[in-house]
Amino acid sequence: MSVIRRLAYGIKHILELDEPRHHLAIYPDDTFVVSFPGSGNTWTLFLIANLLQPEPRVTLPDLKRLIPAIDGQPRKFFRAMPRPRVIRHHESFHPQYKNVIYIVRDPRDVLISAYHSLPERTDLDGGDRLMSFVAEFVAGARSPVGSWGENVASWLATRGNAPRFLLLRFEDMWSETVGELDKVARFLGIQATSGHLAEAVNRSPADHVRRLEQKTARKIDLDSSRSSAEGGWRTTLPKAAVSEIESAWGPLMSRLGYELCDTAAAKYHTVAVTELDRDL
Amino acid sequence: MIHELEYVLNQILGRDLAERYFKTFADDTFLVSFPRSGNTWTRFLIGNLVRPHESITFLNIEKVIPDTSALSNRYLERIPRPRIIKSHQFFDARYKKVIYIVRDPRDVVLSYYNFQRKYGEIDDQYPLEQYIPRFLAGDLPGLIGWGSWGEHVLSWLATRHNSPGFLLLRYEAMLADPICELGKVAKFLGVVTTTEALAGVVERSSADNMRKMEKTQSDKWVVTQGRRKDIPFVGKATRGGWHSLLPENAIDEIEAAWGPLMKTLGYKLARRSSAALEPPYIRLQNSYRVPIRQQV
Repeated sequence: MSVIRRLAYGIKHILELDEPRHHLAIYPDDTFVVSFPGSGNTWTLFLIANLLQPEPRVTLPDLKRLIPAIDGQPRKFFRAMPRPRVIRHHESFHPQYKNVIYIVRDPRDVLISAYHSLPERTDLDGGDRLMSFVAEFVAGARSPVGSWGENVASWLATRGNAPRFLLLRFEDMWSETVGELDKVARFLGIQATSGHLAEAVNRSPADHVRRLEQKTARKIDLDSSRSSAEGGWRTTLPKAAVSEIESAWGPLMSRLGYELCDTAAAKYHTVAVTELDRDL
Repeated sequence: MIHELEYVLNQILGRDLAERYFKTFADDTFLVSFPRSGNTWTRFLIGNLVRPHESITFLNIEKVIPDTSALSNRYLERIPRPRIIKSHQFFDARYKKVIYIVRDPRDVVLSYYNFQRKYGEIDDQYPLEQYIPRFLAGDLPGLIGWGSWGEHVLSWLATRHNSPGFLLLRYEAMLADPICELGKVAKFLGVVTTTEALAGVVERSSADNMRKMEKTQSDKWVVTQGRRKDIPFVGKATRGGWHSLLPENAIDEIEAAWGPLMKTLGYKLARRSSAALEPPYIRLQNSYRVPIRQQV
């Protein structure tokens, strides 16, 4: 970083106008909504935000205020936020996040979402371009928050059993919205009657979210999240791509209830920890 | 406010500590562990391995294997590549090539307890019985940013264990057969060497040698400068000290918290309490499979 840029950053930092990122002062009562990018987050966040603010209906600017992204508001904003705060982020395991709602989604659908958000739109014809994208996706090559598997496993291994960790599957959110939202309300300590929950769901329909997104000229593929409930990847994702993903993360996907379709188990070498099982 | 100004000034001058947020390169190798797990010894071993013609001391170690929690961003940027960097960080996706050292947490807790007394991070008389639960929760000054032992180890093993860019070393295995374990490191780093050369490296990096060096160099090493000397930085370098030093209920508490992971790592449990251990949410071998074609 050049001296000028450092100086500019220094002034912003003093005025608390810089985005907090790792400089966020974290409180024990903060809740973090964490997910790998492209996991149907916007819709889920609208649902949660409509719980946090029963009236009026949450708009996109409201969402940025109610559940700010860690790099979406200046530090000043986070300091002034009323507690307990709800903050969203995509990061892999972070020890200082003590209350975590983690949203997970079938990586075969996450892949489609990531592919569609490339600058140049292309179709999923299974060509070289798609397959090289799949290889990058599996390696987490373009992701600052680790691959899908790293991000998910880092949280589940460290916090999966912890009482202050709530795992939400996007697919359950889609099919059992009220029931899943009820879990969120309990986790956040919000008293919500079934009437409140139904109203929050009413106010966050995917269509509504999509209209908002269009208004702000942001391109997000909600069609793919819609079809995912019916297994969007099954009809659109080429077999080779499915195989590649399942061979990378098969056991983790099974653990999360994502059925594997590539049954050629012989293709895989299930890693044994035998070398370590030997007592010292 | 003073703290903020100091941070900004250091930042402008490039003197801010690297810690977790510094520029990484694709050819970096990271030597990672939870604190007090044999990291400094391994730094000496690797330093002596990659610099066979100069002996590693506390005076040159930071130039050979710099420490992210003791050095500035600017210092790290000036280290010639490919770099080998020492870090105590929990999982960081940017670290593509990682040597991870793990040590029996029953020994780690005792070593860390003494270390925190040395550094005045806890009171000298702080009762061990009160220290254990805080250690388990990762709720200690210094640990806040690193996570608990279990979180630290799992964050790395669940994401990287058995992947090609990851080498797991156990401190106890290194004590038992340092030449064999160092051989694995040499292979991982692509260093061509001989058993005789490895034996020489192990000799130059012995705990006795390190203790001698600490006596004369601790005033000049960035990590120990100005710290009390009655508790040495170089610890006992043994395994199993917990058998005689940890109270029985402390052993039970540690094993109740991390038993399944300790067993996976080959650390025999001593527990007498009969309460069932909570199974891990995901088993380590369940987080991924290695496709056969990627096997070496």
